[in-house]
Amino acid sequence: MSEHHEHHIASAMQLWSIGIALLILTVLTVTVAGFGLPSPFDILTAMAIALTKAFLVAAFFMGLYWDTKFNSLLLIGALAFFILMVSITLLDTLYRDDIVPSF
Amino acid sequence: MANHSATHPKHVHHHFVDSNQQFESAKLGMWVFLVNEILFFGGLFCAYIVFRAWYPELFTQAALELNTFWGAVNTVVLIGSSLTVAMAIRSAQNNQKRGLEINLLITILLACVFLVIKYFEYEHKLHLGIAPGTFWNPTPEIAAVLDHPKANIFFGIYYMMTGVHGLHVIVGIGLMIWLYMRARKGHFNSEYYTPVEITGLYWHLVDLIWIFLFPLLYLIE
Repeated sequence: MSEHHEHHIASAMQLWSIGIALLILTVLTVTVAGFGLPSPFDILTAMAIALTKAFLVAAFFMGLYWDTKFNSLLLIGALAFFILMVSITLLDTLYRDDIVPSF
Repeated sequence: MANHSATHPKHVHHHFVDSNQQFESAKLGMWVFLVNEILFFGGLFCAYIVFRAWYPELFTQAALELNTFWGAVNTVVLIGSSLTVAMAIRSAQNNQKRGLEINLLITILLACVFLVIKYFEYEHKLHLGIAPGTFWNPTPEIAAVLDHPKANIFFGIYYMMTGVHGLHVIVGIGLMIWLYMRARKGHFNSEYYTPVEITGLYWHLVDLIWIFLFPLLYLIE
């Protein structure tokens, strides 16, 4: 048999810490939403917190931190193509005279 | 290598070099599927962004009809279920059959709690005539506070995004029940727990989508 690769086993302490961090960030995002920040900053803080939560889930719950880099590359690639899709769409929709003709 | 059938573990298929290669291949396949899922939900997020850019005032008005408290409770429920799935994988890695079963059961329970809360949210809105697209038929009280001509479009996006997400939760429950039954039969151990691992990846993605849906739909006022 070839050499045996040990899979990384996250400790219960690690997993609970991530879970608690996610809960704290959820409370934080609800609290900040209650402040009623001016227009661009409310969505920016909400997305910054959501991205932090997403990073914690992807890195530790989904194990990308210990995993082969190729799987991380797939996730980053998906996000890059999502940004591309949104950008190209907005290049059209943001510059229309009539938003949706006869709609 | 000549008598490899005698030395390799039962769960390893013949076209794989070893158990680890089979495990990594399955995980890679799941990640490719998740890329597909991200771009699938990406189309819906794209619609959200386009319409929010067109009608920013609609989104802040219409979001008042969504109950932030229950949205937050559902966020906590999904985070909890992600934690129990991660703990289920840990149990399988440590040969803890009982821990695996219990964590899967808690996950199924939390997923059901999520759907029940979602059901009551939908039921409440539909009762008030807050329905998507051409079904938009609000009560006079709702129409008085939400008189935007495109209000039906916001709820079209709301029902589509949360509805497709809800379908993923239902599929997830089915997968967890399947895992639980296999776990009961003792199919999983530290050498072989691939289905638990890749179903876990799927479940965390369902959680990830909700992490974005919650602030984008519920937390704008």
